[in-house]
Amino acid sequence: MGRMTPSAAPEAARAGRRARPVPPPRPPLARPREAVVAGVAEGLARHLGAPVGVVRALFIVLALLGGAGILFYAWCWALAPRAAGEQPPTSSAPVAWILTACAAVGLLPLALLSLVGGRGFVTIVAVTTLAAVAAGVWAALIDRRDPVRGPRHATVVRSADAVVLVVVFALAALAGRDGRIADVLLIVVPVAGLAVLLSSNLVGKWRELSGERDKRIREEQRAEMAAHLHDSVLQTLALIQNRGGASSEVARLARAQERELRAWLYDGDQPADSDLSTDLRDYAAALELDYPVRIDVVAAGTSTERASGEVAAAAREAMLNAARHAGGEVSVYIEGGAGGVDVFVRDRGAGFELDHVPSDRLGVRQSIIGRLRRLGGTATVTSGPTGTEVHLRSAREEAGARG
Amino acid sequence: MADGIRVVIVDDHSIFRSGLRSDLDDTVVVVGEAADVPSAIAVVAETRPDVVLLDVHLPGGSGGGGTGGTEATGGEDVIRASSSVPTRFLALSVSDAAEDVVRVIRAGARGYITKGSSGVEVSRAVRAVADGDAVFSPRLAGFVLDAFGAVAGETATVDDELDRLSTREQEVMRLIARGYAYKEVASALFISIKTVETHVSAVLRKLQLSSRHELTAWASERRLL
Repeated sequence: MGRMTPSAAPEAARAGRRARPVPPPRPPLARPREAVVAGVAEGLARHLGAPVGVVRALFIVLALLGGAGILFYAWCWALAPRAAGEQPPTSSAPVAWILTACAAVGLLPLALLSLVGGRGFVTIVAVTTLAAVAAGVWAALIDRRDPVRGPRHATVVRSADAVVLVVVFALAALAGRDGRIADVLLIVVPVAGLAVLLSSNLVGKWRELSGERDKRIREEQRAEMAAHLHDSVLQTLALIQNRGGASSEVARLARAQERELRAWLYDGDQPADSDLSTDLRDYAAALELDYPVRIDVVAAGTSTERASGEVAAAAREAMLNAARHAGGEVSVYIEGGAGGVDVFVRDRGAGFELDHVPSDRLGVRQSIIGRLRRLGGTATVTSGPTGTEVHLRSAREEAGARG
Repeated sequence: MADGIRVVIVDDHSIFRSGLRSDLDDTVVVVGEAADVPSAIAVVAETRPDVVLLDVHLPGGSGGGGTGGTEATGGEDVIRASSSVPTRFLALSVSDAAEDVVRVIRAGARGYITKGSSGVEVSRAVRAVADGDAVFSPRLAGFVLDAFGAVAGETATVDDELDRLSTREQEVMRLIARGYAYKEVASALFISIKTVETHVSAVLRKLQLSSRHELTAWASERRLL
């Protein structure tokens, strides 16, 4: 414990450095997600490198010394964060039931005292109420999110605690009426406990509600911003493209910006799925930045073709050829159905004769035609004075020719 | 100039209106401009233009057109309010949100082009619409193929079936989606341009009249047209 105080820590570190040249780094003080109660003892033991049993024993001994251990436990609980992780934190000890049992046990001397009279009645009422309320609050706030227990367990525990509190109230009223207890105000204690117990449910509800409200506000703000940007920036970008001419530098930049902005506005936070059409769209955007070209990608149907597949690679090669050699307007059309996928890449360049392409130029022959042949598909290159069209077709094995 | 196509530009951004105005070629005469729904309805009723270039999103609309949309697409309101005027509408949109575009087309627009299109492209589209043809962008064609189940292999058996496309219509739509101009579609299919236009108009009619629920479902699901 002495090592925890800020002034002692650097001193200890310095001493350690002198003794051992390379001290292993201490694991950070964090409570594990799977804990017995709250994970304080285990986290502390890991941080200090001491056995868990010793730390637990220390806590208990300190708790007996005027409650210092309890205070320290609460302090660590409040300040040490949970270890990072995905699954919700869980505790193995049935804390809520233990506290409920304590409260129930307290009822026995209480009943005895209310009938016979005697000292200590006030203390027992307070302790019993406190235990019942603590059990209920624990069930509502901590066990409810615990996957091992869940909301149903919370309801059962809270009902049991409510019964305990009602009994405490009845006994206190009984003792007060008979005049065995001077302080009539004592009946207020279990009533207040009952109120706390019931309202602890509201805390969870309120938490959920405010979380949802935050989310909704964020979405509304986003929609508002999208509408505003749509009206202003997108219009301006369209105008720039319009005035700049289809393949001018300015128009290409404006188009790339428009595409980016639009993807952000409308696709939102959803991760971009890497299907064929999305991939080719992204590739088209990249090509437009590097070459004086405008590529229109149109997709119809649903394609199961993956972006990493051979068809995508061949299509990218065809688009690159079109951008590099033809420029201007390039149309890409992807149609995916049950039978396979068709990709058309069309440019309006001067065209070329496949036979005149030197055999050392691998682009068309290897990257496009050869690739598709290995895949069992076909690649057709039609070239004329008004442009070139590459048609890639990959049929799935089970399906034959499609209409 | 007097026998040019008379056009009204409706857009709430004055800078866009003036830009478009100077970009349009000589066959097109701009006879009026409007910035919101009420003034657009008034200008259209007064000037009775051949074609209205209409922004899909306009201020002053009734809000969502009764379909519960979050954003008011004022363009739809203008078309509905101007049904008594024999004018044709060409939708201009900066947005690719398919539900908005499809809504305006179903309200009666003869086609749709993006605001990024050049003045030459817009002029060509205006002439096509003025001649009674439909203007399809590749994206709209792709959407139509999707929405009418053509990709899944559904084909209309009867010519006047509203919920599916005929084989020929599918071929035309596929070529348009691949970026072919009408002229190129015609030579690829060995038919006349007039026949291509007939097919496109038939598809537009189906798009406007069909009750296929996929039309709206697809549109809102995909966001991109």
